[in-house]
Amino acid sequence: MVTYLRGVDLVFKALADQTRRDLLDALFTEDGQTLSALEGRVPMTRFGVMKHLKVLEEAGLVVTRKRGREKLHFLNPVPIRLIHDRWVSKYAEPWAAALTDLKAQLEES
Amino acid sequence: MTTTPASQTVVSFADGTAPVSGTAVFEIYIKTSPEKLWAAITDPEQRAKYNFGVQVHSDWAPGSSYRSGAPGVDIDIAAGENLVVEPPRLLVQSFNALWSEDVKAQGTTRVTWEIEPVGDSCRLTVVHDQLPETANAELYGGWPMILSGLKTLLETGELLTTPGSLMYAEG
Repeated sequence: MVTYLRGVDLVFKALADQTRRDLLDALFTEDGQTLSALEGRVPMTRFGVMKHLKVLEEAGLVVTRKRGREKLHFLNPVPIRLIHDRWVSKYAEPWAAALTDLKAQLEES
Repeated sequence: MTTTPASQTVVSFADGTAPVSGTAVFEIYIKTSPEKLWAAITDPEQRAKYNFGVQVHSDWAPGSSYRSGAPGVDIDIAAGENLVVEPPRLLVQSFNALWSEDVKAQGTTRVTWEIEPVGDSCRLTVVHDQLPETANAELYGGWPMILSGLKTLLETGELLTTPGSLMYAEG
């Protein structure tokens, strides 16, 4: 439980920043990118991108793998799933489902 | 089913529109020992408790085959070979999805389970690679749900009952 709570704090903190969400979106669109590739995706210095990637890595939202001499960054969706299982499914799913239906109905008409 | 105008199309794992570079990586920390984690991955009864109700059967010898299916459900889920078996640290498997014609057509991919002890916990990394360029997200999209259920099982002994978690389980 303790490890879970610490992890969740880091995830929310990591997500509470536009640049970091942009970096996650960049990895969602194309997974397994190098630092140099990611630099081109956000208006920021290499050092700034590195700093943000470190926060994302500490939260477990980004996982790196070495491929040859390159370090590739992958989006790890598992922490978001853990938050979903702990919070969304318990409190919000019936509401979310109802609202999604409503949205679909309104958009259809 | 509603259709979304192209301008509003959202890229998503769920509907298979998210491109991948042939590799998807999933990582989770679980407070358990490598031995218990290995057992939870390879024991059919335990596996079914977090893997959509699906059991995995094999003798787990290097080079052996495995087959996944759910008792009482008349479809095969997956099959393949155990390419590398090094308990309790490393399991590399070829993976042929069998649950629909669409995923069957995706061919053989590879799943690597890496277990690394970290303090009183384990870091489990699942790498699903050799995915085709336009991989059906159904192939690898279930891992976060499976790993979340595995963590719940090992840390609390309970089953995760969020929608879909045990979709193939009986009863």
